[in-house]
Amino acid sequence: MRLPVPANTGPADTVPALADTAAARPLGLAEALHAEWTKTRTIASTGWLLLAAIALTVAVGAAAAAGTSCPPGVACQVDPAKVSLIGIDLGQAVVAIVAVLAISNEYSTGMIRITLSAMPRRTVVLAAKAAVLGALVLAAGTIAVLASVLAGRLILSGHGFTPAHGYELLSLGHGPVLRAAAGSVLYLALIALLSLGVAAAVRDSAVAIGIVLGLLYLFPIVANVVGNAHWHRHLEQIGPMTAGLAIQATTDLNSLPISPWAGLGVLAAWAAAAVLAGGLVLRLRDA
Amino acid sequence: MEATIEVSGLRKRFGPVLALDGMSFTVVPGQVTGFVGPNGAGKSTTMRVIIGLDAADEGTALIGGQPYASLRHPLSYVGALLDAAALQPSRSARNHLLWLAHSQGLGAKRVDQVVEQAGLGSAIRRKAGGFSLGMRQRLGIAAALLGDPPVLMMDEPFNGMDPEGIVWMRGFLRSLAAQGRAVLVSSHLMSELQDAADHLVVVGRGQVIADTSVAELIAAASGGRVTVRTTARTEATTVLAHAGATIAVTDRDTLVISGLAAEKIVALLGESGLPFSEVSPHRATLEEAYMELTRDAVEFRATAAAGEAAR
Amino acid sequence: MTAGTVTPYRAGQQPARDGFAQLLRAEWTKFRTVRGWVIGLLVALLVMLGLGLFGAAGSNGSCQSTSGGPTRSGQGCFTAPPVGPGGEAVSDSFYFVRQSLAGNGSVTGRVTSLAGLIPAGNGPGTATKPGLVPWAKAGIIIKASTQPGSAYAAMMVTADHGVRMQDNFTGDTAGQPGAVTASDPRWLRLTRSGDTITGYDSADGTHWTQVGTVALAGLPATVQAGLFAASPAYQAISESLGGGENGTIAPSQDTAVFDHVSLSGASPAGTWSGDYVGADYGSGIGGYHQTGGRFTVTGSGDIAPAVPGQAGGEDLTVTVFLVGTFAGLIAVIVVATMFITAEYRRGLIRTTLTASPRRGRVLAAKAIVLGSVAFVTGLVAAAAAVFLGTQLARGRVYVFPVSWLTELRMVVGTAALVAVVAVLALAVGTMLRRSAAAVTVVIVAIVLPYLLGVVSVLPAGAADWVLRITPAAAFAVQQAVPQYSQVTALYSPGGGGGGYFPLAPWAGFAVLCGWAALAVALALVLLRRRDV
Repeated sequence: MRLPVPANTGPADTVPALADTAAARPLGLAEALHAEWTKTRTIASTGWLLLAAIALTVAVGAAAAAGTSCPPGVACQVDPAKVSLIGIDLGQAVVAIVAVLAISNEYSTGMIRITLSAMPRRTVVLAAKAAVLGALVLAAGTIAVLASVLAGRLILSGHGFTPAHGYELLSLGHGPVLRAAAGSVLYLALIALLSLGVAAAVRDSAVAIGIVLGLLYLFPIVANVVGNAHWHRHLEQIGPMTAGLAIQATTDLNSLPISPWAGLGVLAAWAAAAVLAGGLVLRLRDA
Repeated sequence: MEATIEVSGLRKRFGPVLALDGMSFTVVPGQVTGFVGPNGAGKSTTMRVIIGLDAADEGTALIGGQPYASLRHPLSYVGALLDAAALQPSRSARNHLLWLAHSQGLGAKRVDQVVEQAGLGSAIRRKAGGFSLGMRQRLGIAAALLGDPPVLMMDEPFNGMDPEGIVWMRGFLRSLAAQGRAVLVSSHLMSELQDAADHLVVVGRGQVIADTSVAELIAAASGGRVTVRTTARTEATTVLAHAGATIAVTDRDTLVISGLAAEKIVALLGESGLPFSEVSPHRATLEEAYMELTRDAVEFRATAAAGEAAR
Repeated sequence: MTAGTVTPYRAGQQPARDGFAQLLRAEWTKFRTVRGWVIGLLVALLVMLGLGLFGAAGSNGSCQSTSGGPTRSGQGCFTAPPVGPGGEAVSDSFYFVRQSLAGNGSVTGRVTSLAGLIPAGNGPGTATKPGLVPWAKAGIIIKASTQPGSAYAAMMVTADHGVRMQDNFTGDTAGQPGAVTASDPRWLRLTRSGDTITGYDSADGTHWTQVGTVALAGLPATVQAGLFAASPAYQAISESLGGGENGTIAPSQDTAVFDHVSLSGASPAGTWSGDYVGADYGSGIGGYHQTGGRFTVTGSGDIAPAVPGQAGGEDLTVTVFLVGTFAGLIAVIVVATMFITAEYRRGLIRTTLTASPRRGRVLAAKAIVLGSVAFVTGLVAAAAAVFLGTQLARGRVYVFPVSWLTELRMVVGTAALVAVVAVLALAVGTMLRRSAAAVTVVIVAIVLPYLLGVVSVLPAGAADWVLRITPAAAFAVQQAVPQYSQVTALYSPGGGGGGYFPLAPWAGFAVLCGWAALAVALALVLLRRRDV
């Protein structure tokens, strides 16, 4: 193989001199976004994982809808929107994986050093990753939620949940259903941000995903077992998953531990805390 | 502002290990500066501190007078090749360069330019996980050149190159320096640096041991000895000793002369009509010079096996 | 160097035997020398213990003695139920029309009607309407004494389940089916001989069918025999996506009409007296009157095992102390997965398989080391959680008594659960080779179904299916109190101290073992066939 001979492009004055950069220091966010987007779209696994998240969400929601029926004679309080959207419980795990891998893969391959040498402003890097990830999850989440609602509408109406029995057909024109659907999409995005923050703080993918899933599942399981009504309610109010999923309820809102949008706000607080922690670790520790 | 790397008083501790202990040197443009030292001397740590990956406990590292973190588009000031294997295996090499380019506001056209410069060719579209060691090195070089930087920093770039590649790399580094860039190359392979580097920074135990040009270092280690082969050994010994040289007899017809220049020896032997077949000034290899210099600074030394002959 | 023979190199080390024990030792050394993994197991232990104690601490309910009165909590609000002969907590409240029976004898009676009153709506103090709860019961009974929780055997008619013979709260045998009407009465007889009591039923009073016979150990010479009526509390169980809730629990009552009542045996002929047994525990509603040979007996309450979780946080079972298991499992899953995936990531797997080319043995050694360490961790954590939790709960809330054998099963079963899940995680990690994916797959396979089934996110039918098929079925080893078919209640896996699982304990564990075996088999195939 003939190797190209490096072209001698001439004497020193053709080399670009260092400009004075002390005065103007733009963030570089646009370039960071462009770089992170290129990184994300050039890996096949991101697309497959998001597709899997969509498929699982819709499948579980459809299965739950298919399994919901009201035996006669028993008072049956079914929330059709919540049933259709139950697949989010599983879809969120896949979304968490995508978010965790967005950072952890860089640490495990050592590529983080290249990233941070190309973009030394580490906060900007994290912000760019969060923005790209958030946009992707919002897109995938919208598809998943729309498909789930549609599947739920079709399946539930075949199971007797029709206007004749006092149940409106699921439709996004109906205020609470729209809130449940839009809120679920936001829920997924916030889960992604929460996972990104934890992974930035912890760096190892297995430990990060364990912490995220542990946090999500901890509050409902322990709350369920605690007999003290106050503790039960408080645990459900502060848990990321229990509070966040309150957004999905369209009926019987008085029995919720926390109001829908406040619940989503609690999850947003968790996500913000995680991203803050991750950002601090990223800034302060050696790469 | 000059394209330089200025390292001053760096100190860094990793737990119980003091990796850098007052590291200070300057890399100037127009020459290849070799960065050499035994294992664990702090070369990689210094390079990581320069580009802001690790934070030093004390001291500064400046690029053209600026700290790395304050540079916009830092890759257009410093191109660094630290770890060629730092790649996502499932991403193609071209896409790896592409995202790097995008992070500096550059585009696919620039990517194609550096691919050609680094000699990668069509392999660029394959997944990086399947690259051999040598290909990965070239990919790393291409990445370092993306921003056309005036300062280049490479950590063991000769690793994994086949002989043809080593020759190419040597010429490549020299040409980069000839363009007026500042080039810092760390290596363990003295033989490669011998013909590539102009200046040397020798480090050991986290400090700079020597900061000189290659020629001076070799001259200092050479000791000014001259090897003479002659059949008239006894007569030659007398003549040369008379002129004030110190003579060591190493073989039946070989003498090692110290204290006289080679031309003087030739003149003296010629005057006396003594035949000789070889007069060669001893030139230390860079390796010998380096070994002598870092004898005390070596951290890891294996015990010599019983059968190994002493040099 | 002279040409000629060169002395071949003789190894200074003697090769050790290629044994499985050496492999085990190597894997154990690998494990214990990674500080992060050891710390991970410690974290699992602490989390299991901590969450279990949190569950115990958070379990004193609050109650009000009267509306507007001061709020009390803890055991002051809740009267501990009586304990039956078998050691289980029971309900023993009913109206008893009785005479003493000294020595052997029998009691006979004919039931011609069974009617009752149930609440008409929700909330306390609502009006009642005619109706019967499914297990409303009335009949004849021989009981050791009027002490609640004492041994007994009874022949009864029930509202929906025909004639039954029940004894010592847990025993239940079916007799003649069908409802009692005036035209279709039921004849009942109990015969006592020493410690043995035999029950008979008949449709016409002449042809008697033996329903069952029991031996009540330690029955005193003089027992109480006679008629009884009891009607368990009415529960409006509603189905919802929350898995079902007890709507209202309000007292109900039933009234039975007896005739042809006779008590024969070596007893002084006495008079019938009626009173309410277990007045401290039940509603106290009851009474009787006798006109000639006809007795009309009204009663309320139940003679049956007590079901935990009905008293709104005032009671719990030992299962609550093991609630931390899922969190400990997550930590163990992470460590177990990393035990194998870390080798793939660093290329260490090549060194391992070069040192030990028989790949099946390598996987087996890893599984044994991992499973043992996980078992010990789970054992210590579960034992400590149960012990400390019981101490913590004492005086705050009522803990349903369980036999030490059951507690042992719960603790050892939990440890075994943790061990098998660790092996499952190892197998999945071997198959997938990527740690994040493997951890997620295993967590979703065991913790998510537990969550969906136990926290009643799914409808009851789906939750039931989930807890039978998925690896989470193994949580059945943590069930403290068995489910009794003769008590109507909401038997759910979760719900504040319930802890009822669809499968029997070791059957559920076997489901998990099946999944783990499948995963290990697949992992073995892949490990052997793949290049490394």
